[in-house]
Amino acid sequence: MSTAAQQVIERGGDPEPRVPRMSWRGIATVAMHEFRIRLRTGRWRWLLGAWFVVLLVFTSLLRWALAAARPTFPAYYMGGPGQVDIPPPPPIGTPMFGGLMLFVLGLALLVVPALTAQSVNGDRERGVLATLQVTLLTPTEIALGKLLAAWLTALVFLATTVPLVVWSVIEGGVGLGRVVVTMLVVALLLGVVCAVAQCLSALLARSTTSAVLSYMAVFALAVGTVIAFALTLPLTAETRSVTERFPVWDGPPPEEEFIDPDGRFPPPAPPTPPGRQGEPDRWETQTYQVSDVRPEKVWWLLAPNPFVILADAAPSTQPRFDPRSGARLAEPLDPLGEIGHAVREARDPSDHRAEPRFDTVPPEPTPEQQPGPVWPYGLVFDVLLGAGAVALTIRRLRTPVRKLPRGVRIA
Amino acid sequence: MAETEVLVAAGGASAPQGGIVAANVRRTFGDVVAVDDIGLAAPAGCVTALVGPNGAGKTTLLLVLATLLTPDAGQIRVAGYDPVREPREVRARIGWMPDAFGTYDTLTAREVLEFVAAAYRLPRARHTVRARELLALVHLAQFADRPVHVLSRGQKQRLGLARALVHDPAVLLLDEPAAGLDPRSRIELRGILRGLAAEGRAVLVSSHVLAELEETADRVVFVDGGRTVDEHHLADLRPTQRRPWRLRALDQELLLSSLAGLGAVITGEPGLAGVEVMLAGDEEAAELVAALVRDGVPIVACAPAAGTLEAAYLEMTEDRR
Repeated sequence: MSTAAQQVIERGGDPEPRVPRMSWRGIATVAMHEFRIRLRTGRWRWLLGAWFVVLLVFTSLLRWALAAARPTFPAYYMGGPGQVDIPPPPPIGTPMFGGLMLFVLGLALLVVPALTAQSVNGDRERGVLATLQVTLLTPTEIALGKLLAAWLTALVFLATTVPLVVWSVIEGGVGLGRVVVTMLVVALLLGVVCAVAQCLSALLARSTTSAVLSYMAVFALAVGTVIAFALTLPLTAETRSVTERFPVWDGPPPEEEFIDPDGRFPPPAPPTPPGRQGEPDRWETQTYQVSDVRPEKVWWLLAPNPFVILADAAPSTQPRFDPRSGARLAEPLDPLGEIGHAVREARDPSDHRAEPRFDTVPPEPTPEQQPGPVWPYGLVFDVLLGAGAVALTIRRLRTPVRKLPRGVRIA
Repeated sequence: MAETEVLVAAGGASAPQGGIVAANVRRTFGDVVAVDDIGLAAPAGCVTALVGPNGAGKTTLLLVLATLLTPDAGQIRVAGYDPVREPREVRARIGWMPDAFGTYDTLTAREVLEFVAAAYRLPRARHTVRARELLALVHLAQFADRPVHVLSRGQKQRLGLARALVHDPAVLLLDEPAAGLDPRSRIELRGILRGLAAEGRAVLVSSHVLAELEETADRVVFVDGGRTVDEHHLADLRPTQRRPWRLRALDQELLLSSLAGLGAVITGEPGLAGVEVMLAGDEEAAELVAALVRDGVPIVACAPAAGTLEAAYLEMTEDRR
C-alpha cells in the first residue's frame, strides 16, 4: 500500500487527527480575550483601590493595636550594665503578618467567587457562548482560558497586598519562607474557588442562581467545615466505665484539727494525696462512666477549610534566643501557628486526660509524639475539588449537545 | 483490504462534495418536538432560503447543522462531514450567524473580528488584515475602532455576518440575517449573499422577509411544524391558487368599467396604488391584460400584489387558519 493511500485512510479513520484537544495558544487566546473584557467592563481601578484601602486600614489598626498591647519598658531600663535584665520584646511582625493573611484570605473569599460565578451561563445569557463554541476553540481551551483570566484577576488583587506584607516583614519575626508559602497557598486556594464557581456557572442555567451557590460553596468550605466538626464531635463520644480504687481513712487526717478562730490565716492547702501518709484504714473501689470525645475521628472535617490550610501550611516561626544569655525566649503571639497547632492537636489520638491517674506522674509529651500536619490533606482535597470542577465545566461546554439541562438554551 | 478501499472511496467521494445535505432530521427537547422530519439540500453556489412560520423548527435545524445540537435521528452532511461525528471538520468549514446573538459590547469591531480570527486559528499575521477586509465588505470600516455598543442593530447584524465569514467558510448558515436591517443594508446584504454564492459557497438563509428572499434565493425550502413541506427552485415556484394581482391604468374609471365588463373579481377598495383583481396564475393575467388592451384601457402595470414567495408561503400556511 502506498504512503499516500495510507495517509488518506488514517485521516478518514480518525475523526480528529490534526487538531489537539488543547493548545497553549488556544487557552491564551481565550484568556487574553476574557481579560480584556474584564478590564473594559468593570471599574477595576476603583475596586482595586477600595480593596487596598480596606487592607491598609486593617493592617494599620492591627499594627497599632499590637504595639499598644505589647509590654513596653521605660527607655532607662534599656542598656547599661547592671540594669534589670529585660528580654527583648516579641516582634510585632509575626501576629501582624498572620492577622493580615487571614484577613486577606477572608476578604478574597468574598470577592473571588464573583469573578467566575457567571462565567459560562452569563456568556450564554448574553448570547456569546455559542459563537465561541462553533469556532475551532476546544471546550478545554474555553474552560481553561476563562479560568486563567479569572485566576489572574484574583492574583492581581493578591499582588496589591504585597506592600502590606513587606511592612509586616519589616516589623520583624516573619521569615521569607513563611511569606512565600503563605502567598502560594492563598493563590492556589483562590484558583480553586474560581474553578468551583465557574463549574457552578456551567451547571446552572441562571447566573443569579450560580452566583448564590458559589457563595454558599465558599461558605461551606470556610464555615461549614467548622460547624460540621463542632456538631459531629459530640457524636464521637465514647463511654467507658472506669473502676477506681482509692484509700479511705475512717478518722479525719490530723492536719485538719488545726482551728483558726480569728480567720487570720489563709485556709490550709488541700491535703497532699493521703495515700502517702501511712497505711489507710481500708481500700474502696468505685466504678463510674467516663465519656470522651475523640476529635481524631473527625479532624479531617476541618482539613478542607481554607483558613486551616493557610494557617497550618505556614512554616513555624524561628525560635528566638536571648542574645545575652542565649536562653530561649517566649514565642510571640502567632495566629497562624495557634490555628495550626489546634488542628494538629485534634489529630492526636492520645488523650492524656482520659487516663485515670492516681499517684502516678503523667508522662511528659515528647516532641516526637507531635501529631502530623493537616494542611496537605486539605490542600490536596481542595485542589482535587478544583480539578473536578474544571473537568465538569469542560464536559458541559462540549458540543454538539445531546441533552440540555432544563431551562438552558444553547443559543 | 476491501474495507480500506471502501474508506478511501468514501473519503474521495465525500470530501469534494460541498453544501448541506440533510434527511429525516429529528430533534426533540423533552416532550417538545422542535424538528420532526426535515430534509433539505443546500448545494454549493446557491442561496437556499429556509422559510416557515415561527416555531417551525428553523432555528433548531440550523443549530443542528452548526454542530451545537445532536439530532435525535437523521443523516446530515455539511461540507461533506458529519456534524455529530466530525464536528471540528464541519466547524472549520461553516460560518454561523445566530438569530439572537450578543457581542462583546466593550470591544471594538476590529477587536471582535481579530479575536474570532484567533479562535479559528488563523495565522497571527492574518488577523489584522482579515479584520480590515471584512469590515470593508460589510461597510463598517469607519466603525473599526468604535466599541460595539455604539453600533446600531443593523450595524451589529452586519458585524455578525462579518464574524461568520472570518475563516472563509464554504457553507454559511444565516439565521434571520436581514432582521433589523434598513432598506439600503438589505440591498447590500443581498449583494453580499449573491457574491458569496457566486464564489461557490453554499448559503442557507432563514428569514421572514419574503420579498427579500425572492430577490436573493435560488431555492426555497418550506418548513412547518418541524417538517419539510416543500422544496423548490424559485423559478419553478408557481402558486396555483387565486391571489390578488394589482392593475394600474392611466384612466382608472375606464379600467374599472372594463373589468366589470370582463367579469373580473375585484378585491379591496380601488385606490391610488391601483385595482386588485383575483387571478389564478400568469396565463390568466396575460389573458386579462390582452382583453383590457383590446378594450382600449391605457394599462400601465399588472403584477402580483404580493411576491411569489409570499404567495406560496401564504398558500402553505393557509390551512392553519
